[in-house]
Amino acid sequence: MILILSDRQDDAVEMVLPKLRARGVPVTWWDPGDFPARGSLTAAFTGQGHRIVLDTGAGAGPLDLAQVRAVWWRRPNRPTPAENVTEPSHRRHVVWQAEFLLDGAWELAPARWLPARRDVERRAHNKIIHMARAVALGFSVPETVYTNDPFELAPAYERAGGDLIAKQINSDEFTLDGVDHRTYTTVLTRRHLTSRHRLRHEPVILQPYVPKAVELRVIVVGDRVFAMEIDSQASRTARDDWRHYDDDRVRHGAHRLPEDLERRCADLVAALDLTYGAIDLILTPEGEYVFLEINPNGAWGFVEHHTGLPIAEAIADWLAAAETENGSTDHE
Amino acid sequence: MSDFATALASGVRLLRGLPRRRADVEEARRAAAAWAEEHPGLRAQLVVDERPGTPVVDFDLLVEDPEGGTVALTAQAEDGVPWLIDHSTHWAAGQLVSVDEVHLSVAQALTMIRSLSRRDMTPHDEIVDQCLILNEIRKETEPVDAGDLQAAADEFRRGRGLHDRASTMAWLAEMGMTLPQFETYIGGVARRRGFRRRMEAELGPARLAAAPGAFDRVRGVWITGPETSLAACAGDLARVHDGGLAALASGDGDIETTIAERLAFELPEPLRDAAPGTVVGPVAHGGTFLAGVVLTRAAAVRDERTLAAAGRLAFSQWLAERRRQASIEWHWS
Repeated sequence: MILILSDRQDDAVEMVLPKLRARGVPVTWWDPGDFPARGSLTAAFTGQGHRIVLDTGAGAGPLDLAQVRAVWWRRPNRPTPAENVTEPSHRRHVVWQAEFLLDGAWELAPARWLPARRDVERRAHNKIIHMARAVALGFSVPETVYTNDPFELAPAYERAGGDLIAKQINSDEFTLDGVDHRTYTTVLTRRHLTSRHRLRHEPVILQPYVPKAVELRVIVVGDRVFAMEIDSQASRTARDDWRHYDDDRVRHGAHRLPEDLERRCADLVAALDLTYGAIDLILTPEGEYVFLEINPNGAWGFVEHHTGLPIAEAIADWLAAAETENGSTDHE
Repeated sequence: MSDFATALASGVRLLRGLPRRRADVEEARRAAAAWAEEHPGLRAQLVVDERPGTPVVDFDLLVEDPEGGTVALTAQAEDGVPWLIDHSTHWAAGQLVSVDEVHLSVAQALTMIRSLSRRDMTPHDEIVDQCLILNEIRKETEPVDAGDLQAAADEFRRGRGLHDRASTMAWLAEMGMTLPQFETYIGGVARRRGFRRRMEAELGPARLAAAPGAFDRVRGVWITGPETSLAACAGDLARVHDGGLAALASGDGDIETTIAERLAFELPEPLRDAAPGTVVGPVAHGGTFLAGVVLTRAAAVRDERTLAAAGRLAFSQWLAERRRQASIEWHWS
């Protein structure tokens, strides 16, 4: 049995699901956001061991987690209390209890995970951790400072010759004047230096602006590596941060990485105890590949969409291999 | 402390107290002007730095240095707002409109305008329709059909008089587009065109079967103009086979006369269901008045022309329904 943990509207799952079905492997797609309001989970212990049974509430019957060979941890929602649990502290209580049980159940499920169990994924997502691993593996990285020291700002600006960018340590939602705002890659001007005291309030990432020939998104699935180049420099909108998306002007195409770099990308994913990763690189006009970051559960659907690279097939292969290696294909 | 140092300290207090929002810039200017009047020797000027994509503004105060030259003052108060949040942008900065899952940037909209073609719609409505189609095709991964690609490229070039490679390249240079960008752009147009073509082919037969009368071939005469002028012509319409047409043709310049064959749904609405020979109007129609008569009406036939028209009609109705259900948000500010 393959267990997919993700939101019911997840397009990426829709891309992989038919390929799993074509391989004849049993699949359960469940969103932990349905727990505990609709689904139920029971972990029962006896002197002989334990049994953990998930009932998704979808009418498919109980699923013994011992039968799960592979788990795809995609974009699950947090546990959600039933609607008639209305008191806010009760709702928080429900979420906390539910998350605790789920974490334990996933830990005990004898399956392999894509990209990893939650705590491993969270650790790998941390930018200073994965940058340290990348440096250790020989990736070229920009001279980067993670800091909330206001007095680091002007020296970083000068070291970068005035071409300095700032990024947030971790993406998060916030509002300004009650309206949703975003922080993209911010190219600094001298104006930014005049409010250096604000750095005290939260750490940021400071990096020299790395000139780009193209940007790259590299998808690693197990030991398979797929790379897409993003010609963000063709667009004024997207040239500093391709997440501004300007598909009318920005060309996307498959990219052939040098063999050693391709291997290093797979090594980085493995070094972080992941089985999947989305790595962002820059290829400079001088031909140097520069590592920016890895997102352990980063988007790959648009890579396949733009390039036709068979990433959904690779994910299906990886998940299905666990099932066939264990020889159990009698559940649907 | 010297007078100048005192004035500078006062200037800093002024800057720290100015409201840092775009909507309050005039208030800031008034405060700065009052400060400048109190310090006439400094010839102070406030410079407003309006950042794109955010309501936050910055200020500088330029004052004359008594020893010659200019001193520029800037001050940021400690208000507890983290640095990157202070320098963040509105989530839709640079975007024109969001339609469901599609967020159309201003740059994309300007490119899209080049391919808009509907004369019966405002660009505003047609952009929304194009976004609705983009929502439908955003998950498509198959290569664009070669026929659609060629047809889109031909139509685009024809519409701009780009009949050869040289004129196309000159046009691209003028627009600041590279050839690969143009190919990507045409690919997008072709994909939208392909979706429309598939939907029309899929929806057309059912639309025809559901209301074949809408696709009757109808020949009619109709006149538009001031109500009184039309009323005077009602008799001419009634005897249109017997000299009435000539009388209409020799009428005054207030009246516009149309003699045409149309599918019933393409006729002016008051004539669509009229029986042959029955004079309709004058009635208010399209901001003026209309009167007319149906000359002949032949029942719909399931041929290529009729199916194509049924497909177009069904698709426009499908789009109207999608528009009704869609979440549409314009980002004008």
